[in-house]
Amino acid sequence: MNHLIEQYTITTTPKYNFPQPTIDTTLPQRFTELSLHSLKHIQNQPIQLNQQNLQQTNNNEIINTIQLNPQPIPLKPKLQPTTVAAVDTSSIKIGETNTGILIAIRGANVWKQNRNYRYTRIGPFIFHITEENKKEVYNTLQRAYFSTTREGNHQNYPNMTQMPMRIASLLERWLQTMLTKTINNGLILFDGSLTSGTGDTPTQLMKEILSLARKRNNTVLAFSKMTTLRINGHLITDALPENKPPYLLETHGLRTRPPILLLGDVYVARFNKEKYAFRLDIDREIASPQKIEAVEKLLGNESLSQSYPETLRLAHILCTFTANEVIAMQHFAVRDYGFRIINRPDMHKVLFGPFGKGENYS
Amino acid sequence: MKLYKKEGNIVQILSFPNETVEKGDYLLVEDADAGKGLIVQVIDVQFASVPGVLEELLRSLPDGGEIVQGEDFDPLEIAPHITYIQDASLVVCKIRATVENDSLNPSSSWLPSRSQSTIKKLSIPTLLKLAKVNGKLPIILGGTKDSSLLTIDAAQLDGRLNIITGKKETGKSHMSKLLMANLVGYKATVVVFDLNGEYVSLGMTADGKRNAYHDKIHVLTPSQNFKVALKQLNLHVLLGILIHALHLPGTSAREFRRIWQTLKERDKLTLNELGETIPNWHCNQHVRDALLSRYHAIVNSGFFTDNIAEATLLEEGLFKAKEQGGAIIVNLRNTSAIDRQIVVEYVLGKLVELLTSWKLKATFLFAEEAHLYLRETYWDDIVTRMRHFGIFTTFITNQPDTIRENIYRQADNIFLFNFTNEHDLDVVSRAARVDAETVRSIARDLPPHYCLALGKVVQDFPMVVKVKALDIKTMGETRLFFKDTN
Repeated sequence: MNHLIEQYTITTTPKYNFPQPTIDTTLPQRFTELSLHSLKHIQNQPIQLNQQNLQQTNNNEIINTIQLNPQPIPLKPKLQPTTVAAVDTSSIKIGETNTGILIAIRGANVWKQNRNYRYTRIGPFIFHITEENKKEVYNTLQRAYFSTTREGNHQNYPNMTQMPMRIASLLERWLQTMLTKTINNGLILFDGSLTSGTGDTPTQLMKEILSLARKRNNTVLAFSKMTTLRINGHLITDALPENKPPYLLETHGLRTRPPILLLGDVYVARFNKEKYAFRLDIDREIASPQKIEAVEKLLGNESLSQSYPETLRLAHILCTFTANEVIAMQHFAVRDYGFRIINRPDMHKVLFGPFGKGENYS
Repeated sequence: MKLYKKEGNIVQILSFPNETVEKGDYLLVEDADAGKGLIVQVIDVQFASVPGVLEELLRSLPDGGEIVQGEDFDPLEIAPHITYIQDASLVVCKIRATVENDSLNPSSSWLPSRSQSTIKKLSIPTLLKLAKVNGKLPIILGGTKDSSLLTIDAAQLDGRLNIITGKKETGKSHMSKLLMANLVGYKATVVVFDLNGEYVSLGMTADGKRNAYHDKIHVLTPSQNFKVALKQLNLHVLLGILIHALHLPGTSAREFRRIWQTLKERDKLTLNELGETIPNWHCNQHVRDALLSRYHAIVNSGFFTDNIAEATLLEEGLFKAKEQGGAIIVNLRNTSAIDRQIVVEYVLGKLVELLTSWKLKATFLFAEEAHLYLRETYWDDIVTRMRHFGIFTTFITNQPDTIRENIYRQADNIFLFNFTNEHDLDVVSRAARVDAETVRSIARDLPPHYCLALGKVVQDFPMVVKVKALDIKTMGETRLFFKDTN
């Protein structure tokens, strides 16, 4: 079944195009339907609350053969007005049932316009994921997005613990696509890297997103809050020269093992005097001068406290679940879907007393 | 609502936004399995410590203090649940009693089930019924928050020591007038030391007509329609005035006693004779001078007269009040500090005299800002000795620290109006019949004309009441300079 993903309504302003509140709801519609469907028929299911929350983290596999060019590329902020937009999603496990887990997903697009930030936040979507329905949920969402199914390829099916992040990734790709389809001449900031070929970053899909961005003369910049890349045992973000920031450090020699593929060139970005630097992936298909220019536009248009773009920070803040929200979603599950909350003791604490630090530390 | 915590006699209850609970409300925590319940009173309403609220608030203001504008697509409508949790409140309550088989006991030693207990609001009428706050002599104080009337029993003021306190313009005098009018209605004898002439029109309606109390209100203004002749006085009453109000030393008092006996034997107890006798009396010059100066003070007060026809007999008013009920308003307005003390000494001395001889059964005494005219030793007298004689005092003040701590400790009823000053609240919270938390928490938030009734009149269940209006001509208004400017 094919689904038409509609575009945002575009209004031309003297300087920018930016997403309008009238949004394409095809994927959120699927999310909503599946969410509600998964929550049905679970009257009086007990949910166990005191399990560890799983906020999303990215952990990609790369063969660590990286080399760092010791000569920094100096950057000069370009004040040319440019739209800066960012995407982030978050997932969290809000409880366990007898048959599965209860998870919540939320995503946010944030863009900066005329020095003001605006956002579109989608979710939370709550799913009751069981061994029985996880394929159906995942396939349906994939179909809604990819216009294709990957049934038969069992390796691609996430296990239960991966499901929250996988579903969040689907939402994130959709949000990224929305931005690439609606912004012109802008900078689109992703959370994480431009590494593809992992379960939640299909290469073809990532290529399509980057291609769509390029068609509208946008540049995708991906910021990794954490990196595992090391040179001589040191994290690449720790080996910072004493040159006056802002600057980029170019890397080369990074190899991946198939099907992992790097779709961006990897840099270390340090934007101000604070000793914070981040791994920055820039769309590989863009010419080098344009890459540098894109970063310079970012410097000229964005607030970069601690070298991290405010737009991306806001996207993260807006989609991250607070404890209050988790309680509210548990309340929703109990009130609207008849879950019964049970408080099963944490076996680590029961067995090891003060030495039991909880399941997350096992 | 859910029972969250119990520590000592404090209970914490989790309340949700659709459950409106305010300070002063009563709740019943009922444990059906235990067959009993706790009656608790809300003394504070706080935000529940919901984890993540700080992050939630910070998230809404990340852009240098400006709210980030945006659209939320919330298909499952979780947002109302978030605000529901976020706005949850923690209701701090004080245990007032345990109810078991419709009877109350003050115990708080048992623990109701946290999971099974039900919590509901306890209406004031139900509580009044349970606490048996009723009686044959009802006084309607006013309306409670749940639109019911708070009715106390006048008998609970009988033989009691009462305090009406609160900051200026909160309704203290109004409350005292209400109590007084009702006591008079029940044929009680009431004496009022009216410092500012606020009670003189108690017999008139707001529009100046006579009201039901008109014939029962006797206003006595010293040196105008309230004068006494020496002949009508007992020596000990006058000695009381000389010693306590005019600070006559003991030696001089002894000489005065001799002069008095001499004049009495000659049947010449007049001011004139006294004035002629003292300068010629054989005694120490200093004593003579001391007696003369007091004599002139007495004469200058204008309160004493030699004209028997001019003298008003306090007894007459009191006896009249004894038969039909009535109030003797001693109007101390425009009376100097010394004269005020002379008058008060006289009235109290006379009251004790009449009560001791059982000519009077008992009197309700209303004393406004008593520190301005009551001598030091009377405070203890009033709560101990005079009480046994049958003088049941109600102190009215906006300066609670002018009333001694032992008065608060022995007060049976306190009608507390708004106070914001911590020091004032500290003083009042020393009262034995109430806990400090209740006083501090509830009194601070009382609007004008709302009163927290404490003590026996409410069977020790502190209740907030909006004092009912009285159709009485107001005389307590402050004179204003700019009143007619607009």
